[in-house]
Amino acid sequence: MDQFLQALINGVMLGGFYAVMVLGFSVIWGVMGVINLAHGELVMLGAYITWVLNKQFGWEPFAALVVVMPVMFVLGYILQRVLINRVVERPHLISLLVTFGLGIMLSNSVKLIYTADPRQTKTALSGFWRVGQITFPVTKTYILLAALIIMLLLYLFLQYTRTGKSIRAAAQNREAARIVGIEIHQVYAITFAICTALTGAAGMLISPTQAIFPFMGPPLTLKAFAITAMSGLGSIPGALMGGIVLGLVEVFIATYIPGIGTNLGIVSSFVLLVVVLVTRPQGLFGGLQPATEVR
Amino acid sequence: MKHKFPRLLTLLVILMLFLAACGGGQGGEEPTAPPQEEPTQAPAEEETGGGEEAAAPEFDGVIRLGAAVSETGKYAREGKDTRQGYNLWLDWVNNEYGGIRVGDKRYKVEIVYYDDEGDPDTAANLVEKLITEDEVDFLLGPYSSGLTIATSAIAEKYGVIMVEGNGASESIFERGFQNIFGVLTPAGNYTQSALKALADKGAKTVVVAYEDTAFPTSVAEGAIKWAEEYGMEVLAVETYPKDVADVSAIMTKFRDLNPDVFVGGGHFNDALLFVSAAQELGFTPKAMVITVGPSNPQFVEEVGDAANYIIGPTQWEASMTWQGKYLGTPAEYAARYEAMWNEPPTYQAAESTATALALQAAIENAGTLEMDAVREALRNLDLMTFYGPIRFDETGKNVAKPMGAIQIQDGEILVVAPEEAAVADLLYPMPAWEDR
Repeated sequence: MDQFLQALINGVMLGGFYAVMVLGFSVIWGVMGVINLAHGELVMLGAYITWVLNKQFGWEPFAALVVVMPVMFVLGYILQRVLINRVVERPHLISLLVTFGLGIMLSNSVKLIYTADPRQTKTALSGFWRVGQITFPVTKTYILLAALIIMLLLYLFLQYTRTGKSIRAAAQNREAARIVGIEIHQVYAITFAICTALTGAAGMLISPTQAIFPFMGPPLTLKAFAITAMSGLGSIPGALMGGIVLGLVEVFIATYIPGIGTNLGIVSSFVLLVVVLVTRPQGLFGGLQPATEVR
Repeated sequence: MKHKFPRLLTLLVILMLFLAACGGGQGGEEPTAPPQEEPTQAPAEEETGGGEEAAAPEFDGVIRLGAAVSETGKYAREGKDTRQGYNLWLDWVNNEYGGIRVGDKRYKVEIVYYDDEGDPDTAANLVEKLITEDEVDFLLGPYSSGLTIATSAIAEKYGVIMVEGNGASESIFERGFQNIFGVLTPAGNYTQSALKALADKGAKTVVVAYEDTAFPTSVAEGAIKWAEEYGMEVLAVETYPKDVADVSAIMTKFRDLNPDVFVGGGHFNDALLFVSAAQELGFTPKAMVITVGPSNPQFVEEVGDAANYIIGPTQWEASMTWQGKYLGTPAEYAARYEAMWNEPPTYQAAESTATALALQAAIENAGTLEMDAVREALRNLDLMTFYGPIRFDETGKNVAKPMGAIQIQDGEILVVAPEEAAVADLLYPMPAWEDR
């Protein structure tokens, strides 16, 4: 029973991180139909900003969020204005290529500046709380809390603000949104900026728990792709549930199958993806409509 | 006008992609290195030439050695260390030692180098060229297990001896070859010293976790074997894939088993994962042995205080206390190396120098340059070097040199095992995370 509860906790913690990691990717895909292959590199960038603040200036990684998110917001805004807006209405392949190239540029630039050595940030919020035989990892608990707060704020923003509403409108029908006077490229830029900020925040959240290095991005992009396809485009509850389902599946398989469990757990997440795509192609939770191709 | 922008931009992006690709290449290739390396190598040979002039009548002949070592490609850095290790020996043997003694004759040594570019096929071709065109007497090994596997097959085909110091994989020695000899401790013995020291301290149970790729698998299989040999019980064995991001499930299972010793690892990143997972789950075995990471000073830098008490294997450290027959102690070797190359020796450099020493000793023992006699002398070699003892088994592995074990104590990397080379006591058991 203890092992079961511990696995449950580990799984939810992992899932919470997956959820916040996937949000930016999912919303960009949902709103403008761009599959951002530089997603993992944006996570990496957020992690490196955190690491620099932590290492050079002794900042607490969680406090670094106040720098990471605005910096990444501005970066995202510029990227969309300069780069993505120009290809967003062209065939998918173009935006795939652009973001793929962007990812390579980012990872190699970081490698040139900080070398390929793995890094880790140090947080004072470490250790564990013990309840009976079960432990709650302190760092991961804060990560989960931060993830939930970020998701709640994004939800409120999309639901109740004017900009949030125009983002949803743009996602549902690009042409109609234009007709009612929404400046679509501005909306896209804001969306990309917000998503980049969220993704950078995910990078901060990853930084105390595992090694960060310039080429950590691609596996994260792959995972984000799997979770998004499973949970529905741009859906916040979907991302949360998708992330947690995946986290639980991975951890439970790893816990209860001896020897090769960790390997099987990771395989299973992609098996799950295939099963969901076959049985519920719209994802587990629906979500924002993908932007339709406009010619 | 408006339509031109996307096209321009696409061009720009393509350009950037190219730049990025070039940037990526640069790190691995470091193509600027070789031209710089040539001159540093040349003076060493000129000196040799100078020595020859001074001591010209002393040399009765020349022994030509051949080596294909990476100068470019992914092993450019380690290849440089390997060459510097060989060249240090070359400089010493010709100018100070007065040439290899064969019977009562003195032979000058020359090394013919080629750049294998880190590619097994190129390396194999170059070694063939060394044997057939340059007609070298003996071969020194390349850098890395993969290239050693490729080139030793060519050496075997022509029956030419290759002594190597930079391929640790067991598979090099499992092919029944007669002409390959490796001076470094093979992967299966990586954890031997650490486990023996821990068993002596009273450790009874072990758990093992490893990445399921070739080298970590060899290390882990060895760890299981040695743990059982020293009377410890292996409670659980777990594997995980490359690029794993979460090991909390493995560590939870291990925590419930409450083992004395944890053995794990594969990559530097995994070392960080294991330490933080153990910390956040309150899993405190009495000792943590991590395969890759602890002996690297960067590990202490990234992990901080949590790195204390962690144990790791090491091939060689300058602080070890071996008494070598030729180049003195590791500290003396390090000083000589630093004077020659302006940087401290890595273990890759040390094992390369030891490789050449082993070949030299075998030639001198044989008293002839005849291939079969030298091979026999290598088989019977029993040599103490600054790098540790060297004695080959019938497969060509060095079975005499124990892997050193280091423990991080107060942020310092100290050799704690084997006893002959230790500079500090092994601290056991390690205190619980919350009591530090």
